[in-house]
Amino acid sequence: MSTPELRQKSRLPLALSIPKTEDSRNEDGFYRSAKGVYALSDGASVSFDSASWARILVRHYTRNPEFTRGWLAGAIAEFRKLYDRETLPWMQQASYDRGSFATLLGVRIVNEGRLIQIFAIGDTLAVLCDGDRIKATFPFSAASAFTRSPQLLCTNPVGNAFLDEVDFGYDLVADWTFTGLKQPALLCMTDALGHWLLSQRDRNSSPISALRKLQTPRAFARFVHEERAAGRMKRDDTTLIALW
Amino acid sequence: MPYQAEISRDNPTCFLFVIDQSGSMDEITETGRSKADFVADVLNKTLYTLITTCSKAEGVRSYFDVGVIAYGGKEVASGFGGALSGGIVHPINAISEHPLRVEERQKKVDDGAGGILELKTKFPIWFDPKSVGGTPMRAALDKTRETVAEWCEAHPASYPPTVLHVTDGQSTDGTPEEMADALRRIATKDGQALLFNLHVTSQGGPEILFPTSETDLNDEYSRMLLRMSSPLPPHLAEFADDKGYAIADGSRGFIFNGDPQCIVDFFEIGTRPKLVADR
Repeated sequence: MSTPELRQKSRLPLALSIPKTEDSRNEDGFYRSAKGVYALSDGASVSFDSASWARILVRHYTRNPEFTRGWLAGAIAEFRKLYDRETLPWMQQASYDRGSFATLLGVRIVNEGRLIQIFAIGDTLAVLCDGDRIKATFPFSAASAFTRSPQLLCTNPVGNAFLDEVDFGYDLVADWTFTGLKQPALLCMTDALGHWLLSQRDRNSSPISALRKLQTPRAFARFVHEERAAGRMKRDDTTLIALW
Repeated sequence: MPYQAEISRDNPTCFLFVIDQSGSMDEITETGRSKADFVADVLNKTLYTLITTCSKAEGVRSYFDVGVIAYGGKEVASGFGGALSGGIVHPINAISEHPLRVEERQKKVDDGAGGILELKTKFPIWFDPKSVGGTPMRAALDKTRETVAEWCEAHPASYPPTVLHVTDGQSTDGTPEEMADALRRIATKDGQALLFNLHVTSQGGPEILFPTSETDLNDEYSRMLLRMSSPLPPHLAEFADDKGYAIADGSRGFIFNGDPQCIVDFFEIGTRPKLVADR
């Protein structure tokens, strides 16, 4: 029998997202499976078709959350089916060859939150909360980490060479739990919001309570516009996935 | 803090390449190619890389305006040919559409499974090597100053222009230093225009990379080019440092007698503004 807190987490997450500008394509991708697997990806604007790459990564992850070299090769093969390289104009062929780049944040909620497995490549942030308190963040714990260029998954295998130095089962994962938390919540967010959250975490009013109030796309858009205008949030595609 | 402006389609920045095409640029270097040939090749690759950075599936985004000023003999003119020859500075999407020609080259790439693939690649050419007559550097930098001033007036909030000047010889139309000083004083709200100088020489001697002072430079002409060069802003200094150059506080955007890799790096470092909004 589930406890009331854990049962509550069986419901669907709230997904809120707005693009960098009103007329630009949103290159963040989110997908969820019926089995409690979520994935969020932030496509890098300066690359060929990061929106499609982000979408492929999140669908791939929710179908099969076991990230391996073969997994990545399968995702790249799926992306390559979208374009006929030989017919592209030279500038697009060059950009296609250079690659499309995106983050990947995967979440598996097992046993109604007794185990939460986080998988992260890049600067898309997962946050575990208890009420308005931040209990853990992954993969970054400080706002300063967002100033460095993140390592991103690339459709050109050369761009994934950084994975040679990475222990997939250790460096890229965190295991959390809702067990023992009075008011557990799990948030996933792309880097503009992640940087905002970590730079606001020590302020008097909790940034978590500010996010908790955002229950509709309109409220989220207004909040992001205000924070951008105040210079506290970078202008970028901005997505919040919240399991309150 | 200067050099922080968001570079976007609404707020592009500008790169200006100022290329010496005087007669002495036909000297053959240790690579077996003339200096003019090598510089033309690096410039074509730099344009290719800038355009690739701006290219997406739906087209080329104009994050940058780019110009080439070529000087040699008695002439200072746009370095572009064909449809681009009528002006000096063009949005990068216009440059992408009007190379002089597109060549087909082979390149080797990782196939992702431990092997190597040979791919046919289209490579555009905008700029052919040329070397003729004297070195009207003063007039060239005056034209550059005028171009930078016009651009800054039209883009007052943008990341300021970056000028990459490549030369191998002494000016034959008077000292260019006052033109360079005037150029570096032109500013947008985000900071002063940047002027970086690359002295490709056949004099021999040690290479001097991003120095802070004139101490190690033996001739007055190199010392003048150093004085004409802007200090590297922090983000470019960091990038140069990441590429393995010994960068100190006050390092200037100046290279003397660099090897071919240094010349490639000079262009890469100089064309690396922060794409703040566009990661």
